[in-house]
Amino acid sequence: MSETFNLAEATLKAIQDRRSIREYSAEPVSDEDLNLILEAARQAPSGENAQPWRFIVVKDEATRKKLGDISGGGSGRRFTAEFMTKKMQQRFATLEDEAKKKAAYEKLTSGAVSMFAAAAPVNIIVIGRKDVWDLPYDTSAAIENILLMVTALGLGACWVIAPCIDVRDEIRLRKLLNIPEEYKAVSLISIGHPTRPHRPRPRMALKDIVFEEAFGNPYYKEEA
Amino acid sequence: MSEKAISHAYLNGLVFDLEKAFWDERGRGCRFRMMEVGREIYESDCKTRIQSAEIPAIVSAVQEVLIEKGIVGSVNCAQEDPTLIVSVQGCLHLPVEDRMLEKGIEPFTCVPANLIIMGIEDKLNRQVELAEIKCENGVCQLLLVVFDRPAAVV
Repeated sequence: MSETFNLAEATLKAIQDRRSIREYSAEPVSDEDLNLILEAARQAPSGENAQPWRFIVVKDEATRKKLGDISGGGSGRRFTAEFMTKKMQQRFATLEDEAKKKAAYEKLTSGAVSMFAAAAPVNIIVIGRKDVWDLPYDTSAAIENILLMVTALGLGACWVIAPCIDVRDEIRLRKLLNIPEEYKAVSLISIGHPTRPHRPRPRMALKDIVFEEAFGNPYYKEEA
Repeated sequence: MSEKAISHAYLNGLVFDLEKAFWDERGRGCRFRMMEVGREIYESDCKTRIQSAEIPAIVSAVQEVLIEKGIVGSVNCAQEDPTLIVSVQGCLHLPVEDRMLEKGIEPFTCVPANLIIMGIEDKLNRQVELAEIKCENGVCQLLLVVFDRPAAVV
């Protein structure tokens, strides 16, 4: 039996149900769903209504493989550097299960954590025109719209910055997708059908992140 | 335009302001956006001087260029697979790093490191990560990690 929500409830549900999904079934994403996802992106807020975003839809298997290689390479380098400088060990210090800790280190330092673009039926690469004031904000708003529509459609997605965060990987991505110099590669969004449900990730309490009138003065006095 | 050399204090003041402005905008992500700084020097001065596809030869060529230009006093390296530890002494830009540290910001970019990394990626086709920059007593110690993964993915 389907549930009924008013608009506010439905909006909050899409926001709260969103997960970062990195494993997908082989089922393709339909063109109808992809159209809705891209329409949601197009409707994002934009400073000066500049709409700097452009979207490259990648389904080709060989290109997806290269996206996975670029993403995995970048993540693997960064996480290995974290491991070599002991920062990763500090991050996982509270995890007592040694086997889980070892598996996490392996997944991160190998770059496997970001290689899933290769297996996603669809990847949307979000790029933005540089000759505007608000490129990172506009494109990020478009990406969030993508993620919420994906959730509303019962699909899964992950926002991947791995192929863009390091300028060297961004150069590789630009070359792969023939992205012109006047555009910045912002992120990759992998989309597909989730293979299993995922638990929500913890969020900080509102009382710890919201201030009244000026920084430091809690807006919420009690747990909210 | 005057050919008179500009003062190091003026140069480093500008470099600090630029780095600080970038840090304020991008935070710790700065490091990954600065890896191409020095590309022109690499292409015009370092690339042809690297005589063999060996890491010590790459470091040596970069050292030669940087000493010639009056940027550093010396560059030395020690390899312990998969790491490469590079010591840079007498760097012209050390005051920038000192000011960053005064502000509580870990140094996040280093031209000698970038040039060496460009050389390794170019001549050995291996990816490299700049893991850490430590500056103490006038010496910068750079921790690089060299991967087997090819630099030319595409």
